[in-house]
Amino acid sequence: MRCRGESMGRSRVSNTFRPHFRPEGHFDRTAAHKPILVLEKVMKVFRADAPVLRGVDLTIERGEFVFVTGPSGAGKSTLLKLIYKAETVDEGRILFCGRDIARLTEDSIPHLRRNIGVVFQDFRLVPYWTVFENVAVALQVMGLSPRVIRSRVALALERVGLDGRGEEKVAVLSGGEQQRVTIARAIVPEPAVVLADEPTGNLDPVLALDILGLFEEINEGGTTVLFATHDRTLLEVSPRRLVVIDDGRCIEARAGLVGLGGVLDHGISIN
Amino acid sequence: MFERALKGLRQQLGTQMMSVATVALALFCMAAALLVLENAGAMVRRWGAPVKVTVFLAEGASLEQVDSLRRALAGLPEVEEARYVSAAEARLSLSAGGDQAVANAPVELFPATIELRLVPSAVSAARVASVALRVRRIPMVSEVETYRGFTERLRSLLAGGRAAAGVIALGVLLCVFAVVSNTVRMSLAARLREIEVLRLVGATRSYIRGPFLIEGAMLGGVGALVAVLLLGVVYLTVRGQFEVSLGTLLGLHPVFLPWSVVASLVMGGCILGALGSAAALRRGLHS
Repeated sequence: MRCRGESMGRSRVSNTFRPHFRPEGHFDRTAAHKPILVLEKVMKVFRADAPVLRGVDLTIERGEFVFVTGPSGAGKSTLLKLIYKAETVDEGRILFCGRDIARLTEDSIPHLRRNIGVVFQDFRLVPYWTVFENVAVALQVMGLSPRVIRSRVALALERVGLDGRGEEKVAVLSGGEQQRVTIARAIVPEPAVVLADEPTGNLDPVLALDILGLFEEINEGGTTVLFATHDRTLLEVSPRRLVVIDDGRCIEARAGLVGLGGVLDHGISIN
Repeated sequence: MFERALKGLRQQLGTQMMSVATVALALFCMAAALLVLENAGAMVRRWGAPVKVTVFLAEGASLEQVDSLRRALAGLPEVEEARYVSAAEARLSLSAGGDQAVANAPVELFPATIELRLVPSAVSAARVASVALRVRRIPMVSEVETYRGFTERLRSLLAGGRAAAGVIALGVLLCVFAVVSNTVRMSLAARLREIEVLRLVGATRSYIRGPFLIEGAMLGGVGALVAVLLLGVVYLTVRGQFEVSLGTLLGLHPVFLPWSVVASLVMGGCILGALGSAAALRRGLHS
């Protein structure tokens, strides 16, 4: 999966990731050959006596599916917020497609976000909009034509199993369906990375597995997925790379819970 | 963007209608003050310039005497034109508004006059007084009316009116600004989730702010338009009832606001609405 703006042959123009760097910055042409996300000694402090993240180092390659787990308040959501720049790094740096996102100007942040789809536990949909409108907004902000928007939204809704439901108000949908709408909104601009912050937290186990399956399908299409979850069942059924965040630091296992060698059982409690 | 603004307006139609009504009421007050000033200005123009002097003739003056007096007056350096108005002509002129009582009154009630129009350079109180003094000494002249007192009073009244209109305008501007600003703030509060989603999916600042600015401009503009229409209705009603008496009393017909003022009011409403909206966005989106 390439970041927007790196593939010369692409016809899309409006959603390219061409950030304006601060004066000391430069455009990195080799970004396409670098890991999609690199976190270097990332620190985030909300309270001086209890930093949320203490020097997190993490490298995510293109097309990976990574679970991010850890106890409540460990900093999973903060880590994701730092990536889509809802929060700013206090120390260290985060490279997205080889570019330090801390150095992005305010005007470039929307372009970064068009390359990152985000899915939340509480869906974050506009209740008085229809399913179509909630998904289409991700393309409308890019200035695409209504015809293109219609066809791409229809495709996204089909991918999440909601084809033909575009005219329904999201307020009348079930939790699982609303989460599918959120996923459709996240994937419709074909982002380089999808960040999922406890996307199954509000769903029953069967629906949770269903939603996990959706993310796996998205990942099979080449999109990098960072899936933050508490749910141990999901980690068990899908032995993927696992990043455990606890006490502001991260521990990694390449093959899910097995690779962690019991760290979760003894060192970290997961609900 | 326009479509999104309309959608936003429709979403909170009740609040928006209330805001339009408040803006319209405030702007109506301002437009009404402007209308009064416009007509007072026309009155000052009618009676103030060019300066006129009416020479009332004593009874018993023959036509030859009157003509020689007229020619003598026309020869004065300050006088541009001297015109004789007979008693019959005076009655006809006063009953031009359709007043039958005036038209049927005996002609003796209307004194013959010589109307003097002064040259513009002579329009100073001292020069007019000097002309009046000289004319008043002529035996066949019973009275000389310079109208200066009336026009001076009218001018000072107009100046006071302008100052009052300025105060009203300031109050109205603040009112419109506050109403639009608060309406947009309420609109922002009701659409926080929408704004959050827009930011999340990569909307630029202008994409988010645009519809709210348009919404503010539309509130101001529509409010101004409603105010002007309302004033138009009030004006036509009042004119229909008092046009004849105003014409008789003041010698002029009421006029409505010129198109340029109407256009300025509507444009001003739009700009003020957009500014109010911008102020609300500055606070609302920042927080």
